Amino acid sequence: MTIERDELGFDAPAPLGHPGRVGLPAGHATGPAVGERLPDFVLPDAFGREIRFHADRDRAKAVVVFFRSAVW
Amino acid sequence: MIRAYGILNDQIRPGDALLHGIPYPGVYVTDEDGVVVSKFFHDTYKKRDSPELLIDAALGRIELADDAPQAVGSDPEVKITAAVHGGKGSIRQGIRRQLVVRFELSPGLHLYGEPVPEGMVPTTVRASGPPGLVFEEPVLPPTEPLRLDALDLELRVWSGCFDIAVPFYPTGELASEVRPLDRDRAPIEVTVRYQACDDETCLLPRTEKLSLELPLDVIDIPSLAMHRGHGQREASYDGTPHLRRLMLRKIRAHPLGLLRFLGTNVRLELAAWRRRRKSSRETG
Repeated sequence: MTIERDELGFDAPAPLGHPGRVGLPAGHATGPAVGERLPDFVLPDAFGREIRFHADRDRAKAVVVFFRSAVW
Repeated sequence: MIRAYGILNDQIRPGDALLHGIPYPGVYVTDEDGVVVSKFFHDTYKKRDSPELLIDAALGRIELADDAPQAVGSDPEVKITAAVHGGKGSIRQGIRRQLVVRFELSPGLHLYGEPVPEGMVPTTVRASGPPGLVFEEPVLPPTEPLRLDALDLELRVWSGCFDIAVPFYPTGELASEVRPLDRDRAPIEVTVRYQACDDETCLLPRTEKLSLELPLDVIDIPSLAMHRGHGQREASYDGTPHLRRLMLRKIRAHPLGLLRFLGTNVRLELAAWRRRRKSSRETG
């Protein structure tokens, strides 16, 4: 498997130009802004239980992470 | 959910069965009302914010661990501590941590933020390390106004205890994900310039140089055939069954997707091979 370093200095075990290596284009939207209420969502957790974001965080602060692989 | 937030990776075509549907990765931190107080999106998926950095954003302050690698300055009036926050020195390509420069001022003293009138010294922090350790612009806390009626001046100052944080991350040159670490520590040099004053007089401007050593350690990653060659320590948990399930699910949903994926890979591998051949001809 080809290993190449990108223009920012990061190595990955995939050739440059691989669709898995593309980054966020400058100026691309990044969802809700600072100061906005995060839109509610309902998703299953790791045990299949339904989680209602705003109701189930029970007035606690929250960190919502969108990630693309859990190998880190 | 990814689409609803508008962060679908739209450079991956719907026909790309194995990758389509992933987001541009990022993080939202909310307060008790669910209102976003910080968000973190970067130009590359390789930059990932450390858990400590996200916890700091949620708390609104930086909680330094006692065992954090650190160095202390020599000014008795302005105690300066530079520390690396989080990770206990573990390092991995792209993981963003913070170099925290903590100022503890004697009562009555203040330091200046920008802008300052000519002749006065604003507080600056510069950090440097070995090749492959990238320091971003320092993050300054909000200043307080200080009104000097006699001079008809309003200055911006800090007093008491405050932090200037410098986010940093390693690139492949220092801590690649495709080769073992080739050093076990990284020196970090921090230069702090400032001038402390009270409401009447100023002390001489000072430059403090602090040196700290970041002991490097690898992290555990799941054992996974496609990650063979990573410089990190392979943990005892096997990621292969999960990857196999994911691939099967994707291929069932898009039977032609695998062929297309393989076709793209062959094309890109050929292009990479040509680049390698060209560069070896040029150098040799």
